[in-house]
Amino acid sequence: MTRHIRNGINAGIIFGIVTIFLFMIGFTTTISDLLGQLLRNGSSIAVMGFTPGIFDLLVFLFFIGMWAGISGAKKTPDKIDTWGTVLLSSGIAGLLHGILVGGLALLVGSLLQAGVTMTVYFAQLLPDAIHLFLIGLNATSAGSFYVIFFLITGLIGGVVARTIRYGSWRQNLTAWSKNKWQAFTAWPQYQRIRHNKLNLFVVYGLLILIVFLLPQVLGQYWNYTVGTVGIYVLLGLGLNIVVGLAGMLDLGYVAFFAIGAYTVALLTAPAPHHLMWNFWVTVPIGILLAAFAGIVLGIPVLRLRGDYLAIVTLGFGQIIAVLLHSDELTAFTGGPRGVAAVGGPSLFGISLGTPEGFVYLILLAVILVIFVTIRLRNSRVGRAWEAIREDETVARAMGINTWSHKLLAFAIGASFAGLGGVIFASRNQFTGPEDYNLMVSFNVLASVIVGGMGSIPGVIGGAFTLKGLPEVLRELENYRVLAFGALLVVMMLIRPEGLLPTSRRKMEIKELHDPDGKEAGETPGGKS
Amino acid sequence: MQQKTALHVHKPVGTYRYVQIILGVFFSAYLLWRLYVVLIAHPAYGPDTWLRFTIDGVVLGSVYALIAIGYTLVYGILFMINFAHGDVMMLGAFGGYFVFEALGAYKVSSSLSFLNAYPVISVILAFLAGMAVSSTAGYFLEKIAYRPLRGAPRLVPLISAVGASIFLENAAQLLFSTQRWDYTNPAVLNRGAGWNIHVGQGTVVVTYTGVLTIVVSVLIMIGLYLLVKRTRLGRAMRAVAENKSTAALMGVDVDGIISRTFIISGVLAGAAGVMWGIHLGLVYYYVGFIPGIKAFTAAVLGGIGSIPGAMLGGLFLGVVESLGPAVLGISFQLKDVIAFSILVLVLVFRPTGILGEVLSEEKV
Amino acid sequence: MKRPITVFSVLAIASMFLFACSPARSVRSGPAVCKSDSVGCALIKSGQTIKIGMGAPMTGDNAAFGTDISQAAIMAMADAGAFQGFKFELVAQDDGGSAEGGASVANKLVSDPTVVAIEGHIFSGATVAAIPIYEKASLPMLSPSATNATLTTTGSKVFNRNVFTDAIQGKFAASYLYNTLKIKNLAIMHDGAAYGQGLAQTVNDIFKQLGGNVVAFQAITPGESDYSAVLADIASKKPDAIFFGGYTAEAAVLVNQMGQSGLTGVTFFSDDGIYGVDFLTRTKQNGTGAYSTSPVPAPSDASKKFDAAYLAKYGKAPGSLSPYTYTAYDAGAVLVKAIESVAVLGDDGNLYIPRGALIAAVRATKDYQGLSGTITCDSTGECSASGPTFYKDDGTQWVAVGTGS
Repeated sequence: MTRHIRNGINAGIIFGIVTIFLFMIGFTTTISDLLGQLLRNGSSIAVMGFTPGIFDLLVFLFFIGMWAGISGAKKTPDKIDTWGTVLLSSGIAGLLHGILVGGLALLVGSLLQAGVTMTVYFAQLLPDAIHLFLIGLNATSAGSFYVIFFLITGLIGGVVARTIRYGSWRQNLTAWSKNKWQAFTAWPQYQRIRHNKLNLFVVYGLLILIVFLLPQVLGQYWNYTVGTVGIYVLLGLGLNIVVGLAGMLDLGYVAFFAIGAYTVALLTAPAPHHLMWNFWVTVPIGILLAAFAGIVLGIPVLRLRGDYLAIVTLGFGQIIAVLLHSDELTAFTGGPRGVAAVGGPSLFGISLGTPEGFVYLILLAVILVIFVTIRLRNSRVGRAWEAIREDETVARAMGINTWSHKLLAFAIGASFAGLGGVIFASRNQFTGPEDYNLMVSFNVLASVIVGGMGSIPGVIGGAFTLKGLPEVLRELENYRVLAFGALLVVMMLIRPEGLLPTSRRKMEIKELHDPDGKEAGETPGGKS
Repeated sequence: MQQKTALHVHKPVGTYRYVQIILGVFFSAYLLWRLYVVLIAHPAYGPDTWLRFTIDGVVLGSVYALIAIGYTLVYGILFMINFAHGDVMMLGAFGGYFVFEALGAYKVSSSLSFLNAYPVISVILAFLAGMAVSSTAGYFLEKIAYRPLRGAPRLVPLISAVGASIFLENAAQLLFSTQRWDYTNPAVLNRGAGWNIHVGQGTVVVTYTGVLTIVVSVLIMIGLYLLVKRTRLGRAMRAVAENKSTAALMGVDVDGIISRTFIISGVLAGAAGVMWGIHLGLVYYYVGFIPGIKAFTAAVLGGIGSIPGAMLGGLFLGVVESLGPAVLGISFQLKDVIAFSILVLVLVFRPTGILGEVLSEEKV
Repeated sequence: MKRPITVFSVLAIASMFLFACSPARSVRSGPAVCKSDSVGCALIKSGQTIKIGMGAPMTGDNAAFGTDISQAAIMAMADAGAFQGFKFELVAQDDGGSAEGGASVANKLVSDPTVVAIEGHIFSGATVAAIPIYEKASLPMLSPSATNATLTTTGSKVFNRNVFTDAIQGKFAASYLYNTLKIKNLAIMHDGAAYGQGLAQTVNDIFKQLGGNVVAFQAITPGESDYSAVLADIASKKPDAIFFGGYTAEAAVLVNQMGQSGLTGVTFFSDDGIYGVDFLTRTKQNGTGAYSTSPVPAPSDASKKFDAAYLAKYGKAPGSLSPYTYTAYDAGAVLVKAIESVAVLGDDGNLYIPRGALIAAVRATKDYQGLSGTITCDSTGECSASGPTFYKDDGTQWVAVGTGS
């Protein structure tokens, strides 16, 4: 019994704080706008007696409240949860949730009525947003409304939780889908395709064909977006070698990206040097210079431990950013104004400088880089990297020259970033220091981590999630970076091997997560 | 376990050692030559300006030192960089800011606000608020983002820390917008006001806020030193830092001690944040990140894990940052380049820092 | 490992096809102007809104600019009311102020055929990358804040701006410093960003041409809390005045630290990046005597009315988030006016906006009296006709002390 009450209290407080936080950062307002567009196409007709904005808000809060109820009614170990206990804990969760949110409504509502402008300190507490939050009532009634509202949604959540957990439909559904999948895999045609190499090649060939026809049907905007994702795939694959394969955390990866971009910019642009070289000539130069920079940085720092390495590379990234802004280098790099009119690629007199052309170029680069990565990973070098990642001392004992292998990983990772930078600058026809800030490093790191360290499909998936998805959900762009941060933490907590891990990596992480002593041991309450 | 895999600092041998010596001689010679140029051959500044640089550097350095101790404490126990430490400091700075705002708005008489009527109480309240906010943040940070990852591969908690740092920064940005805010100090602590000292042909202002900063940080550091060396909690912390499993066998509550370490490092960060606000005035969402990284540099400089080392490293870094561009004769824009180059140089020449790493090699 | 990649690719491709459908941008049907127009007409169906796009930094450190400028533009759209029953709508997209973001937003906006004009972009870097894309799509632009001098020198047909360039502002500022304020020894600082550095460079060149003496040229790193070291360096050079190219965020810190760094009595002179109440509230008595430049003429009834409306709606005074509130409002109003002058209501109840004519109409703007002064576009797209006004901080407000000439 006490356990149920405690679960309810915990969930109520956590969800209360989360809801208050979401309101304070303006998320509730944004999401209700978005829901309004999705559900009602932005029409302004009243729904069920509510003004539309308020209806959208309540729809969102309904789900949050229900989730609080579900989470409050979490399974208690070794006990059968009866309807009574489930409703008790979800009810307590809902009530607390409601009291916290209602208290906030009461507070901001009365402050607003007293004429206090809270916008001065809390940017999102605009009068309009508060009015929406008060659902057109005065402070006291809105406060009491929320208490009742969240109590009810919490109880609904409890009902849902009980139904999901103990209903028989769940087993039925699992069994059904399992059966269907087995039937599908047992299907002779599938077996034949699966086990015949030729057929597989046909399937992959078709896929590649579709990918190559795609730019023709995609609009300009989606071509551009796919191109951006492709550049991040390039960067991700490079960082994947450094972080995923060799196990060195590099937070200054953007520096190599910038070196590639500035190489092509300075060599092809009319100002500041008026060299006007051909784009294709500058590609290998950009890649080589980036790799060279990787070696130069690598020589002093590769003897360092993992966390020191992270900080030093972070510092290196900052140094490059400061130098690109600095007066000392303005004559050479164009300074803060950047380099305009960067040359684009052309082939046999046909310019590839359109979004479609660049999609093809980027696809080619990605395929090339994937090929190189696969060959490297399956070679002696790749195995050496993974050995170093797992245990450097043992790797050295096995006769691996750890230092030169780490240097090689650094250089190859840097060269991929250089290639990405070359294409990036050429595609934008402009490059300036603002493009190479710390967030780029973090973005790339996040895509490697989310996808799964060391795994190529993982990196591609990660780049799509982190660069492609935000383009689809542009309304939520304010919360993108916040979500990145939360995603990094959550991924590490629940799935450190990433969404699409390599099988080897998955095994390793599983092993390490099985605690075999007090040191790694966890108290049951440790996760919250 | 983890500790073994990370043994990457080798004793330099062979050619590497020679490269080190050659580079070292080169750098020292260059530095001496620059010092000769700017001090004797073509004096760039009068003595007043040199003194100004030094005072600014010492004050800034004492703030760095406080933040650096937070890193050192956590690193000493968990062997991880608490990447979000600078952002915890930022939260503390906001805590102090709101206390000052509230006290400034609260009138004790028609013309006098509480802030100006009771400046000492106000400052103490601001420090308490900042410390409370930061230590709460530190406690939950550990509980949510780090504790479940204990025993995971080394990269995992580090990435989690990076994520937590991004999250905190952006949460603050969304809550308080990107606007810069200025601390409204009590009138007696006006920024810029201070004792005037005549040096050469100029006057140097030793600001009250600067002196307060130095005094408070020295007091806190002494208190912390006593806490670690003299109290039961300090002994337990050292035991956990030495060996977690043995400490657990001896009846030390390891998780509890780690939690408390994070709370202490949060208290230090909060104090640093409020001092930052009182002395420099500025508070906004990104205010902690770069000082955080620099403070880590300071911790490494002094020898990570060592509390006196962190103090020394902080002061050293503050002074070098302030004097560096002047001595080397380069643009002041490049002072961050100097700070990070020092980090690289220290790690190349003396990875154990000035005072030597307290952790035994076997452990790291 | 093979299964996930297949499933994933299929999903990815399917989702792309889902978003791939894009209707024709311009039509030739409808009223006669659409057939004769060089590009064709944008078709706004009955019930839709006339969209004006904007690329602005809405996230990151410069988010305040995007927030402020888009809010002012939204007010301009609201004040314009409905035209033939069609409302105006601002579609503000986040470009982060970077070139990559600028190109991405531009590609997004041109794929929406009901977007007929662009207010922006806000930062010069994003604008550089966006211009070629709008050029191809024949969308007129009017930027309230992109000041990089080279933007109008490339011969773009679509790009206009109602803010003066770094070159003009720098020239006027240098001559005001030398001729009116009689400054002989000037220290120049900038924030290492495109805007501040460009301005500082211009002031440096012109001030030297006029015969002045530039005693120091230093850059700072934006976002820091402590600039006392660089100020001490400048103090040792004994300047009469400091010119700073940059924004309030750093200018306020500099001004607050000048006293303790031995720069008491030195005039602080900056640009339109610091004009606005934010500088006044952040520097208080330290800022007294500081100068700023602005295209905005001395307050009028219209601007006071706007100030009150903005404050009521957004809870902050105009100019507290960015210095471009007025130019942003004017840019929106000018675009609305240009659209109204060329749009034709078809017999089918839909609105037809000839794109070619709209481009010409924006550039033909003449003697528009806005909050930020007179707006008249020349043949290159420079629309800010009124020269800068110089303002002095008297401790509580900016007082106009002269105009550039």
